Amino acid sequence: MFQPLDPLLHSELRLAIMSLLISADEAEFPYIKEQTRATAGNLSVQLDKLASAGYIQLEKTFKGKRPCTICRITATGEQAFRAYIEALKSYLEVSKS
Amino acid sequence: MEGKNLTAEQSLEIIRESIERSQRTMAKKSALPMLWWGVCVIILALVISYFWKNHGGYMNFLWILIWPLGYVGEWLIGKKQEAIPTPFVGKVIGQVWGTLGIFCGGIGILLGLIGGGFLPMKWIEPSVFVLGSITSLFSLCFGISTTITGSVIQNRLIQICGFLAGIGGFFGALHFLDYRQMYVMAGVAFIGLVLPGVIIYLQNKN
Repeated sequence: MFQPLDPLLHSELRLAIMSLLISADEAEFPYIKEQTRATAGNLSVQLDKLASAGYIQLEKTFKGKRPCTICRITATGEQAFRAYIEALKSYLEVSKS
Repeated sequence: MEGKNLTAEQSLEIIRESIERSQRTMAKKSALPMLWWGVCVIILALVISYFWKNHGGYMNFLWILIWPLGYVGEWLIGKKQEAIPTPFVGKVIGQVWGTLGIFCGGIGILLGLIGGGFLPMKWIEPSVFVLGSITSLFSLCFGISTTITGSVIQNRLIQICGFLAGIGGFFGALHFLDYRQMYVMAGVAFIGLVLPGVIIYLQNKN
């Protein structure tokens, strides 16, 4: 039986963001932008969506005189990511058999 | 990367790519500090061997310089590098080398205090048969740390370097009682730190 896939994570960019953050405690906005090759505008929108769901935490700070956004995955986000992986497994098992 | 419907396989591919990228990032980040620490150990080992030969074994106290030298260099490297996060595996590697530093530093300080007469010699005098030397033990620790680093970043070449440095240094240092132990230490640092640093750097250059 298929498990439902979290619609918030089932998007290319949001999944890439979460995958990056799951293996690092925190990452700065330019790093995520470079790794995902997304535009700044689109990335901002997707980060806000993840933050609104409580999956990530955004910290607006300054690095010297330049503004800097630090993204961190939350416990809720980690749990959602694990659940998403479990759901993926059910799809892959069905497609294998 | 825009929003679109994903298949399970595509989702898995995105996750796999991100994890691989994170491993490459971590490897890239660890290359220069490894090289730097390796060069510091080689230079200090050679400097100490010179002073040991001409002034005596107490000149080993100069090893204390490894901390300011190593950390200042690492801090400068960190400042020049782009701001990249430290992934979990990077933290594991940092902790492995940090633990090595604590053990080696602790033993060094204890021996220094005993050698300087601040602590009683009987604390470390063996009451039964013992075989070994401090350089031999440190070489083994270096080798183990390099091998663990290679295992964590899944790099067979670095695992081999660690094994060779650890085992070679452990037995190599046992052949020398005097300042020549430092040559073994320099060799261990070259195989266990400089060579892995160069390997990681070249593999992640592009």
